[in-house]
Amino acid sequence: MHPILSQPRRLLWYVLAWIVPGILLAWTLVAENSVAWSSALFFALPAVHFYGFILTSSYFVCRSLPIRQRTALRVVSVFGCASLLSSLLWILLCVFWSKIIGDATGYPDGVLIDRQLTSLLFVAALLLYLVSLLAHDVFIAFENIRSAERQQIASQLLARDAELQMLRSQINPHFLFNSLNSISALTSINAAAARDMAIELGTFYRKTLAISARQQINLGEEVELCKHFLKIEKIRFGQKLQVSWEIDPAALTAQVPAMFLQPLLENAIKHGICNLSDGGVVQIKSVIENSWLHIAISNPVDPESPSVIGTATGLKNFKARIHSLYQEKSRISWYKAHNNFYLDMIIPFEPVMAGSRND
Amino acid sequence: MIKTLQLLIVDDEPLARALTREYLAKHKDINIIGEATNGLEAVDAINRLAPDLVLLDIFMPKLNGLEVLELTGRTSGVIFTTAYDQYALKAFDLHAVDYLLKPFSQARFDEAIVRARKLLDATPANISELIADAKLERIVVRDRGQVHIIPLAEVEYIEAQDDYISIYWNGKSIMKTQSLSALEAQLDSQEFVRIHRSVIAKLSAVKSLERISKDAQVAVLHSGVKLPVSRAGYERLKVFVSQP
Repeated sequence: MHPILSQPRRLLWYVLAWIVPGILLAWTLVAENSVAWSSALFFALPAVHFYGFILTSSYFVCRSLPIRQRTALRVVSVFGCASLLSSLLWILLCVFWSKIIGDATGYPDGVLIDRQLTSLLFVAALLLYLVSLLAHDVFIAFENIRSAERQQIASQLLARDAELQMLRSQINPHFLFNSLNSISALTSINAAAARDMAIELGTFYRKTLAISARQQINLGEEVELCKHFLKIEKIRFGQKLQVSWEIDPAALTAQVPAMFLQPLLENAIKHGICNLSDGGVVQIKSVIENSWLHIAISNPVDPESPSVIGTATGLKNFKARIHSLYQEKSRISWYKAHNNFYLDMIIPFEPVMAGSRND
Repeated sequence: MIKTLQLLIVDDEPLARALTREYLAKHKDINIIGEATNGLEAVDAINRLAPDLVLLDIFMPKLNGLEVLELTGRTSGVIFTTAYDQYALKAFDLHAVDYLLKPFSQARFDEAIVRARKLLDATPANISELIADAKLERIVVRDRGQVHIIPLAEVEYIEAQDDYISIYWNGKSIMKTQSLSALEAQLDSQEFVRIHRSVIAKLSAVKSLERISKDAQVAVLHSGVKLPVSRAGYERLKVFVSQP
């Protein structure tokens, strides 16, 4: 929409501003052609205002010719034609309007505006239109810069949001505070165990921070991180939590995104093992088949606990993250059967080159 | 003479329970009468032992802390313990219900005990308000000593009958002592619609609307069940359901 026409306040100022040239034109008529003030004003004010509205069309002319598509020839022809047409249209209307006002107030043809004034008005209108084109161009350029800045800020905010979300999920306050509570309990029961747990917790968070600074790690590093995580969870849940790893040694060299398995294990414990009075075994299997890395995770679930699949927002976020990294080259699916939860995942197998690790 | 309090510890983590026992050791006027390791055990223990005070973990297997309170009808004598749950914390502050954030110190624990003891005689209704405000993910019903957990995803419709409601899900039904309006307030209004004074239907369970007479409509569910639709219910429904 037009920056002036679309806002009543600006439109009012615009209309008021055009009164000045209207009075000037009327004054010219009074001085040069000895017309009465009343007839002159009657003619001049509507005439200049009408041109004021014709001028706003230059905004759409500018918009129709984006900066990137401009060539000298195009600019000259489009802008020239638009200016000529607009000023010509206005002059015709002026002649017509002067006739009406002249007839009504008793001036014969050519008295209100003579031939000389007509050509003067035409040239003025032409120049004004060109100036208006320029002004609109400048305005549009500023608008573009501003919207580009806004977009940049919006995308920065979005990126920071995603980063925060990721950090938050890594730090997982529930896990942290419960672990600290366990340490607090252990201090009087088994001081050595409390120390061990504090060290495990420290190691886990240190590794998490180190790993999340990198985009890609290998599966071996991720498995190691998970083992620290599971050690802490085992102290919290005792015999309830059992873990079985079956990882093809070749798979350990696979490139994977940071925090690739840990959120899945956390999910398996939180929504599976945790809900079972007798606990169970979390199974993690990984093999390589025809340049694909397969991961399968399963855990028993409480058949009465409904939230496993229904509100799997954590899993959905995880899937979105993996999908954004590998697009259609990844598959993640999960289902519940026989009181077990199964998750299968396939991503392209890309071994990390020897020596490319720098830690 | 201070009355000896009978206390129940509810927490799924053995170390967390051990810590609570340790903190309680210096409170000679408190008697630990039981420990529960999940929500179902907690419901059972509260009913069986009628403790004066319950230390209740929120995030637990089987049933969460709020569901335990709803099923037992307990409205006072509770101190919540939780590691981190921003939504619950907000609700607690709102209803002035006391809670302990893990890890907590002996001093903070003692303070909560003193406060709870003071409140034992006065019976604040805060906890029932807390439960009424909670948004549901599932409906829990206690029927002849058995606890049923009904995921909202499986619920078709709920019907009011006198002073209880019947919940229909997966071709089964169960009765619960609750008012339809109280349940309605806890359900997502984008998912469950009060289609009649005595019926709430789940939108995704509704197949179509049928006109049976000049100004009477029925909602036909995918299961074939037909439910009455009142004039006001029709206004609420037609926003969601496309007409044949």
